[in-house]
Amino acid sequence: MYELLLQGILHILQLKYLMPLAIGTLVGVVGGALPGITNTMTVIMVLPFTFGLEPLQGLAAMIGVYVGGESGGLIASTLLGIPGKPSSVATMFDGFPMAKKGEPGRALWLGIWASFFGGLLGGVFLIGTTEPLAALALKFGPWEYFSLFVFALSMVAGLTGASLTAGLLSGAIGLVVTVMGNDPVMGQTRLTLGIRFLEGGIPFLPVLIGVFAFAQIMSDVEKMGGARRDGAAGFITPKLVVSHLKVIWEILSRPVMLLWTSFVGVLIGVLPGIGGSAANVMAYDQAKKFSPHPERFGTGTPEGIIASEAANNSNVGGSLVTIMAFGIPGDAVTAVMLGALTIHGIQPGPLFMSQQSTLAYGMFASYILAHFLMIAIMFVGVRWFLRVVTVPKSTLFPIVLVLCVVGAYALDNTMANVYVLALFGVIGYLMVKGALPLAPLILGVILGDQIEINMIRAIMTDSNPWLFFTRPISGGLLLLSVASVVFALWQHHRHQRRVASAADADF
Amino acid sequence: MTRALSREVITGLVCLAGSLVLLAATWNLPGPSLLVPVGPGFYPRIILGITAALSVALILADVMAARRRRAAGPAPAATPRENYGLVLACFAILGLYVAALPWIGFRISTFAFVAALQATMEPPRGWKRWLVLGLVALITTVVGYLLFERYLLVLLPRGRWTDF
Repeated sequence: MYELLLQGILHILQLKYLMPLAIGTLVGVVGGALPGITNTMTVIMVLPFTFGLEPLQGLAAMIGVYVGGESGGLIASTLLGIPGKPSSVATMFDGFPMAKKGEPGRALWLGIWASFFGGLLGGVFLIGTTEPLAALALKFGPWEYFSLFVFALSMVAGLTGASLTAGLLSGAIGLVVTVMGNDPVMGQTRLTLGIRFLEGGIPFLPVLIGVFAFAQIMSDVEKMGGARRDGAAGFITPKLVVSHLKVIWEILSRPVMLLWTSFVGVLIGVLPGIGGSAANVMAYDQAKKFSPHPERFGTGTPEGIIASEAANNSNVGGSLVTIMAFGIPGDAVTAVMLGALTIHGIQPGPLFMSQQSTLAYGMFASYILAHFLMIAIMFVGVRWFLRVVTVPKSTLFPIVLVLCVVGAYALDNTMANVYVLALFGVIGYLMVKGALPLAPLILGVILGDQIEINMIRAIMTDSNPWLFFTRPISGGLLLLSVASVVFALWQHHRHQRRVASAADADF
Repeated sequence: MTRALSREVITGLVCLAGSLVLLAATWNLPGPSLLVPVGPGFYPRIILGITAALSVALILADVMAARRRRAAGPAPAATPRENYGLVLACFAILGLYVAALPWIGFRISTFAFVAALQATMEPPRGWKRWLVLGLVALITTVVGYLLFERYLLVLLPRGRWTDF
């Protein structure tokens, strides 16, 4: 394994791979720093550029974006008090107060170095567990795959929104999208409503791009036209000089907290659909609970910055495990990566590690090297990124939308995908307005065909439906699906009780 | 006095209607074949049935929650109004862009789209802002064209009317 990893690192150090990785990391950092531009949007923008590249070049660029994006978010959070993206919200709780106290450099670099160490710990997990998990998945039959996909969907539906029913409904809509077109087993055309274009089915990448990019952009557009935040006016670059050894020591002198919060990040990354924003907040919460001085949190304590930033970068490692071992995207960013792989005819999943070992270890190497590149990029450009944050959204959004359109068009050089993109852009926005979360929809669209294929394969192998429940792994996964739904229900009721008791207290 | 339907109820009703229409369409599909013990309508019926059931559950849950809310007292103060007019305008411009791409090609339509969208989102005041707007549109178009068409070999849409 270590030989392969070393080979992977040497492979990625070649200029033709290192260049896309470095550019991806830079784009990720800048995208992460821009409030309103999520990692998903950044990786969607990068996607069309990867079509003409080798698979590993494209993946290296995307991994760079992912790692850079998770770190870039802390720039605006700590120095401006505006979260660059949802996964840096908790960083702001202590980063901004520390910066306001006159230590902006310390606040910023604590976050950057914590991202670095957290990310590397996530890398240890990624490299150590992907192969054993893939080996476990190789033992799966169609029953187990069916149950695994159902579990993934139930997890996402249960944990992404305030309402479990809305989450499940969104996932079900995603599954409905996949039943339109040809039936994947016999090729029978179905539910096309007489629209010829639908006969080939609806490709998931334009759906993903439309739903996520448009919904996010239009939700921001809604708020335009009111009070304007003109960041460029009166902008003063703060002093960011700091002793890096001191900062690194501040982080490494808290090994238990660093390890635990990185583990929280990895765990949340492995579970599909929860994402960096939850990792960031949950790790912050954990650090506060275990701290001997919880009262200091929110006032500019280093623990708050370290915990939240270590977790959101280690979360990337966890998300990559899920897609590489099982072929299930842990979040929207890895869903785009899945799309990029399928465009090149590569299917991630249990056989990925053995059949595409160069690519797999290249991905590991890219992930590790991206952290070093992120540090180098921050050293050189952090002052400039702070300036970029002030670019108005009215300038950024049209460019992002053009890249989305080109990305959809370039999938197979037809306008059909652009129409799907526009249609699902509207649907995605309406879903947000209709209180339906988007992540379950996407996972439904991605997994729908696989759920059907594995269900029918299982029935063709043995028509006994009880096998889904009596085979140990399959039954266990279905039990976990039920448990995740029950957990989500319990969480919802607890939240309602707390709200009710808070209202009583207010009264 | 009539009350407006909540967004959850509207979502539930739209999803219920959609799933029932598609569910009805599955009955026209052929049955099982010799090779596959279930027909092409088997799985869609399950999924559409679940979708319909969840839609009903969403409606019922919201109706019950509304009762609780009414019993608890008056609703909190309204949140600031969103600028839906701007959203609609942005979607319209995007729709025009998508529709125009095959007719006038990538270069003209992209320049017009980027310029129009910027002007709609933040109407320029003064010639400097107009200049910036034009430059952003021009640079996006030129860089996009050169990068994708020349470097990445993506054959961007040509206009049927303009051949450009």
